[in-house]
Parts: sequence; C-alpha cells; structure tokens
Amino acid sequence: MMRTLRIIRRVFIETFLGLKASGWSNWLVVSILAVALTIFGGVLQMTMSLKNLVNAWGSQIEMSAYLKDSYDPKKVANEISQLPEVRQVEIVPKDVAWRDMQHTFKIAVINNPLPNTLHVKLADPEQVELLATKLKLLPSVETVRSPLKIAKKITEVRHFLEIAGFFITAVLTTATLTVIGNTINLVIKARHREIEILSLMGVGHFYIKCPFVFQGAAYGAIAAVLATLVLLGIHLYVDPYVKDQILSLVPFMPQNLEFSLLQTAGLMCALGVAVGAGGSLWTSGRFIKL
Amino acid sequence: MIRLQNVNKNYGGRPALVNINLHIALGEFAFLVGPSGAGKSTLMRLLYREETPTNGNVFIGGVNLNRLHSGQIPLLRRRLGIIFQDFKLLPSQTVFNNVAYVLRALGVDEKEVAKRVNSALAVVNLEHKFDAYPTELSGGEQQRVGIARAIVNGPPVLLADEPTGNLDPATSLEIVQLLERISQRGTTVLISTHDQPIVNAMRRRVIALKNGELVADVDNGIYELEMS
Repeated sequence: MMRTLRIIRRVFIETFLGLKASGWSNWLVVSILAVALTIFGGVLQMTMSLKNLVNAWGSQIEMSAYLKDSYDPKKVANEISQLPEVRQVEIVPKDVAWRDMQHTFKIAVINNPLPNTLHVKLADPEQVELLATKLKLLPSVETVRSPLKIAKKITEVRHFLEIAGFFITAVLTTATLTVIGNTINLVIKARHREIEILSLMGVGHFYIKCPFVFQGAAYGAIAAVLATLVLLGIHLYVDPYVKDQILSLVPFMPQNLEFSLLQTAGLMCALGVAVGAGGSLWTSGRFIKL
Repeated sequence: MIRLQNVNKNYGGRPALVNINLHIALGEFAFLVGPSGAGKSTLMRLLYREETPTNGNVFIGGVNLNRLHSGQIPLLRRRLGIIFQDFKLLPSQTVFNNVAYVLRALGVDEKEVAKRVNSALAVVNLEHKFDAYPTELSGGEQQRVGIARAIVNGPPVLLADEPTGNLDPATSLEIVQLLERISQRGTTVLISTHDQPIVNAMRRRVIALKNGELVADVDNGIYELEMS
C-alpha cells in the first residue's frame, strides 16, 4: 500500500517535471485548448438555449379533439390524459364555446351547433402525428385538428441544432486531440532518454506512461477553468444586454431559458480532461515503444 | 543462469545470429567478443528482451523469455543490471539521483533508497561524488555511476554492452576489474566487447561470435585476432 502511494507520488512528481520541461509550449496548448473549449461551451450554451426555446414553443403546441355529442367530455378527457404523449387536457364544453362565439361574433340565437372540444397539449412536439392518429381511433372523437406543419418545423430545428452541436464538438475535439498529441509527442522526444532508462531498468509501463496522461489531463483541466472564466465574463457582462435586446424584439420570448453555466463548466472540464488524457494516452501508446 | 537453445535471429531474411547454444552459470564472468556486426549486441538485446529470437529459446534464471508477455518484461529487467557504452545517465540529475531514479520509480522508500544508493556508490568508489552532475565527471566515473545504477537493485545478472567502448585503456581495465569484483560476490556478469587487450589481460571465459555464429567458447581464453 505504502509502496503504491510512493509510486503515485512519484508519478505526480514526474508529471510536474514534464510540465516544467515543456516550458512555453504548455501555454500554447492550454491557450488553444481554452479557445476550443470556450467555443464548445459557447456553442453548447447557445444550442441548449435555442433547444430550450424550441422546446418551450413546442410545449405550447396543442391539438383539438372534437367529440361526438353522445359522449361525456369529462370521461373522454380522463381517458385521453392517460396517454403517454399527453401533457395536459383542457375541456371546452360546447355551451361555453357557443357563448364565447356569440359574444365575439354577435351571432343570432339558434341551436348550438358546436361540439364539446378537448384542447390537448403534448409532452413532446415530435409526437403530434402519433397522438393525432391515436385520438382519431377513439370512438368518442369526431375529428382532430393538429398543427402538424409547426410541429414538424420545430422537430427539424431541434434535430438541426443537435447535429450542428455534435458536428462542432467533433471538429473541436479532433483539432484539440491533434494539438495535445503533438505537444505530448514533443515532451516524449525531449524525455526519451529517461523513458529508455526507465524501461531498461524494469520500471513498469504504467509508471512510464502515466505522467504523460496526467499532463494531458492537466492541460484539459486548466483550459476548462480558463474557458469557464471567459464564459462567466460573457454571462455577467454581455448576456444581460443581449437578452434585453432580444426581449425588446421578441416580447413573447419564454423566460428562464439559460443552460446553467455550472453545467457548461462541468461539461467543459469533463471534455477537456477526457480529450487531454485521451490524446496523451493515444500519443504515448503510439510513440513510447517499451 | 543464462541459457540459449538453438537461437536464430534474422532481420528481414538476413541472419544476425545462427543456431546459438550457450550456457552461463550463476556467478560466472564471461566476455562476449567479436568484430562489429558479429551479433554481440543482438544477443545482448535478446537477453534483456529488447528483441525476441526468430526461433529458439532464451532462458534467464529458468524463465523462457519467449513466453513473457509485455507486462512481464519489466519484472525480468528488474532481475538484470544493464550497463551501456554511452552510460545513459541523466545529465540534469546528480550522481545520487541517477542511481536512485529507478528505485524511486519502483516505490522504494526514501530511507532504503539512501541506504542502497550509498552502498552501490561505495562499491564503485564514488561516495564522495554523490552530488556531482554527470557532466562534471570523467568517462570512467560516468561509467562507474552506470554500474552503480545497474547493481543498486541487487540483480543476479549484469549485462554490459561494450562498457569500455568510450574509455581509455587504463580506465577500461579499471571498469572491467570492477565488474569482476562484483561477479565475485555471486553475480553473473556478461560483457560484450571487442577490446582485445582487456579480454587478454583478464584471461576469463571468452565466447566468440563471427557473422552471427558462435565460433569459440573457451575458459581462461584470449581474444584471437584471426576472429576479427
């Protein structure tokens, strides 16, 4: 146990020596990684905010089910609210609808021609078609009116945001992996003599490769902290101004749409450390021949 | 302690070692001689598992090196002390730290490190230079640091690949005599060299290679010129 702890302590010392030996190139890697993570974090916040916005709009989508006169709207509403695609059901009794219509359009006094109506809100706008089909199959439902076109657009925008986010993350991850890989390769070259000696004297592969992996992870963690500081600055000083501008242009914009900065920082840190350690592991595996 | 059975080694179809059979007992001291390209370094590399034979078996302490997987190679190397022609010292580390480097990497505690390093430096008569840097030492002293590092872990086998290649004749003899003294304490020592005066001065077992073939294996032998 003590021996393992001493080895781990030495691995950290070797990591520190590796960082020290890398000199100015540390800051080059950290800067590039920090820029990449800031873009990643910014894009993430933007796509998540847009996605939340789209979801908020999507949650406003409702479909109308017009009921046959012989059925009790309360019972039907209860039956429909049990469906997994349904978030909320609102009953509009035919009498209320007719009174409103008469009030709005000044219609002559005739027998009420309107059916009982249910306004159904969806849990997920993507399921509008499925729910419309299910509702049409109910014997109590005469007709269904569903905003298929809007739901489809919202779904398309959501998918586009997901794909764009994935694509940007993939590009940035690849670029970052390349930068880290090249830096660790330089460190390996600079320390090839120590690596050779350690290997020939019987030091295990874990001890030899671990400091490089830790070094990469350290790059990722430091870069994530820097990227978080940049995003925090944007969040504090730029966001309120932009939000005011947007709200003045789009007053019906849903509120509380921000994707938490803490979550973004956590994700950036996880990605930075994973990319740093992964890139170093890959490079050390490729260039350290033991 | 060291045994080679029908060992062949080819590089891209070109034979570097041809059907080598060899046995070196525990505590024995032997020279591996031959001209450049005779296969000495290849044989040494097979012994510390830097290379594997094309066919045949290599045993160290009864362990067949062909059967070791990559994770077991460090364990083998901890039972070997390896000495190099170019010393392979870390210029940024003191003599003490060069010798201690591997012990620390193996998790040996600092008190034990100090004890073993001082003892190894005493064997090579360099206790007083513990805080010097390699660049401040002569070639012979640097090689003695290399030897101290090789013996610090108490290995039963010492492999010295051309240890006198970069040294003047007087220092070379000193180094080889030092290795002989270490061997007298029970360590198997195999020295690869093409330094004829040293081999002839020591009159110990001589294993001679030529064009990858074992052409002579003589106790109390000399390095015969016609071989080279």
